[in-house]
Amino acid sequence: MNKPSNVVLLIEDEPKIRRFLRAGFEIHGFSVLEAESAAEGLKAATFSAPDLIILDLALPDLHGTEVLERLRSWSNVPVIILSVISSEEEKVRLLQAGADDYVVKPFGMAELLARSEAALRRYFKTATESPVVTTGPLSVDLVSRTVSLNKNQISLTRKEYRLLHILATHIGLVVTHDQLLKEIWSGNQRDNIQYLRILVRKLRQKIETDPNHPRLLVTESGVGYRLQARLEDCSAE
Amino acid sequence: MLPGRDPTAALLSHGVIRCLGATKARFLNSHLPNVRQLAKIHAEPDEGRNGGASPWEDGLRSESAFRTDILPLLLSLFAVGLVTAILLLLAQDVAANLVPIAYLIPVIFAATRWGIWPAMLASIAAMAEADFFFFAPVYSFRVDDPQEAIDLLLFLVVALVSSNLASRLRQETEALRRREKEMQQLYEFSRLLAACFTVSDLISAIQKYLSRALKQQVAFFAARADDHFELPQSGWVPMAVQQHVAAMSAAIGGSPCAVVDEPTRDVWLLGLLSSETAVHGLVAVNIGGGSRDAVEIRTRRVKALLDEASLTLQRLDIGKAMEDARLHLQAQLLRDAFHGTLSHELCTPLAAIRGSASVLDSMPAVRQDGRMLSLVEVISDEAAQLDGFIRNLLNATRVTAGGLSPRLEWADPRDIVNAAIRGRARRLAAHRVETEFTDDLPLVQVDSGLIEEACGQLLENAAKYSPSGSTIAVSIRVEQGRVTLSISDRGVGITPDEQQQLGRRSFRSQRHQASIPGSGLGFWIASTFVRANGGTIEISSQGHGQGTTACIALPGSSMNPSEHTALADE
Repeated sequence: MNKPSNVVLLIEDEPKIRRFLRAGFEIHGFSVLEAESAAEGLKAATFSAPDLIILDLALPDLHGTEVLERLRSWSNVPVIILSVISSEEEKVRLLQAGADDYVVKPFGMAELLARSEAALRRYFKTATESPVVTTGPLSVDLVSRTVSLNKNQISLTRKEYRLLHILATHIGLVVTHDQLLKEIWSGNQRDNIQYLRILVRKLRQKIETDPNHPRLLVTESGVGYRLQARLEDCSAE
Repeated sequence: MLPGRDPTAALLSHGVIRCLGATKARFLNSHLPNVRQLAKIHAEPDEGRNGGASPWEDGLRSESAFRTDILPLLLSLFAVGLVTAILLLLAQDVAANLVPIAYLIPVIFAATRWGIWPAMLASIAAMAEADFFFFAPVYSFRVDDPQEAIDLLLFLVVALVSSNLASRLRQETEALRRREKEMQQLYEFSRLLAACFTVSDLISAIQKYLSRALKQQVAFFAARADDHFELPQSGWVPMAVQQHVAAMSAAIGGSPCAVVDEPTRDVWLLGLLSSETAVHGLVAVNIGGGSRDAVEIRTRRVKALLDEASLTLQRLDIGKAMEDARLHLQAQLLRDAFHGTLSHELCTPLAAIRGSASVLDSMPAVRQDGRMLSLVEVISDEAAQLDGFIRNLLNATRVTAGGLSPRLEWADPRDIVNAAIRGRARRLAAHRVETEFTDDLPLVQVDSGLIEEACGQLLENAAKYSPSGSTIAVSIRVEQGRVTLSISDRGVGITPDEQQQLGRRSFRSQRHQASIPGSGLGFWIASTFVRANGGTIEISSQGHGQGTTACIALPGSSMNPSEHTALADE
């Protein structure tokens, strides 16, 4: 985290959840704002200009999806959704509506922090634009379009690089199947998820130490893929 | 039957043709096709009938017909004779002009009692007898006085007209009475039907009512899936009817038809028993033989009953649909309540516990103190276990409420298994998990969330029923075009007896009930999820103490992975 004190806004109606979230974020150097309803949350998002919003889906006055849509109409601040056991469709819908990521309750603080940091990194990167994304042994230079594994340059096909590029610009965040298909196969292959599966398989053969147990390019069941920001994230869940 | 509407049938019904004998009847057979069957029934001796026909039906035929058809004619003649005798006895006291009026008494009596034909006979006989005994010259049919001739003719006209009127009145009264009886029968029948709640109830009610109350033979042909009818389970049906039914198809909207069984000359009415949506079967009713009138009346009655039965069927259909909808709604409400309220009520505190423990876990003060750290780990582990139980309960309600609709999508089986292992990492921490995936695995078209959950359940069971430190082997292979995920443990194994009961919900082996915690839902959920994806699940064990292997077989992609590769890279 480059910024000394990022401001996180918690929009969550359960006081006990807010209490541990506040503690967790404060330990990791965040300043925390709290809102216990959607109205209050939207107001705080407008006036306090937080760097990150943690949004609970089940709010008493307005559904979280609605809050997200309203936020997205004027702001691109990173939003991470908290939800009780939700279906894959709902996750995809939320991501398409502009959420940066989601965490399903019950969750560990480490998981939420990892997502938060990834979202913030992406949010600030658009301003500073660091050309090299590094995770574990893998580094992707977005300017020279080169990929190296353990400092050795590897060659990827055009589509493999495109896939890696999208994931690297969203490092630590989930990217939906739809988004990947749309950006890699524009045109008539957009609905063919089989192609994406095979492309991921091929990319894993090149970048993963053990392609059968991927640690960098991980699958989010029914939702999409994620390029892990740190290798220990794999075991944190 | 009103006079003049169908003279031949009228003649038949009043026994005139019977008097003519077989020759005339045969003549009628060939010339009047509409009464051929009925005429034959009347003209030929009654034999070879089956024993099931009712005595009431028999009354319309053979020897008893004598009483119903000839007797009224004789009685009406007798009544006229009686009046003549009385008039002769009182000849001194009765004025001659009262004689024709006195003769109107037997005529009207015959008309109201026996109908038009005996009354007409009585009229003619009365005129003849009046002329013979009371009009000059006496004891001769000759009439000398023109005034008296006019009187006699006038009498005849009055007698005929009043007998016609009186017999009409009689017919209408009879019709009313008959209709009232039919209504009463229909009412009784509908009360019987009101107590029916299933189609089989209804069929047995129809059979019981027609055979007991109306003493008619009934057979029920159930509709088969191929739009034809099955032979009846009970009751005798003549060959002709069977053949006719075999040629019919069970289409909605068919109208009843009649079949004549040649050997017995019984008319069988075949009526479809159908609601608006389905044909349930066909009812064959023996209407019997007898006069055309009698057959018509019984046909009408049976048709009314069948109509009533069809209405009841529709009611049952609606009732069943409503009951289904009610149950579905209840299940859905229960599921929604569980998913909404309960999951929220259970998951929120659990999320606070788990989250708080994870924050504590990261605090330097806790990390430095071994005792505090181990306590925090206990909280985290137990919270994770509780979370697993809640998830199982939610899954079970999803299955029982019928809310399982897999979202099929092409997925890499390795991703599914890896996700399942990662999801159960905490439960598998004490075991060594070995994986073996063959190269070039095809994709599977499944709901990866459901299969991941099923794998997770099996992994959890493997960890639960095998000693800590033992190996759990997970492999993915392709066998006969199907992708097989197998999970083997080196644990207690299962006995053949337990194996048979495995698919049952909440089944838990007696051996483990005291020692290993669990709800018995895990395997049931796993197998339901796998089946919902078109897969199969199998548990095998060499026996007690030999470990257990669970295999999930899923339909694989027919496309070779290398073909995909070529396409994906285009």
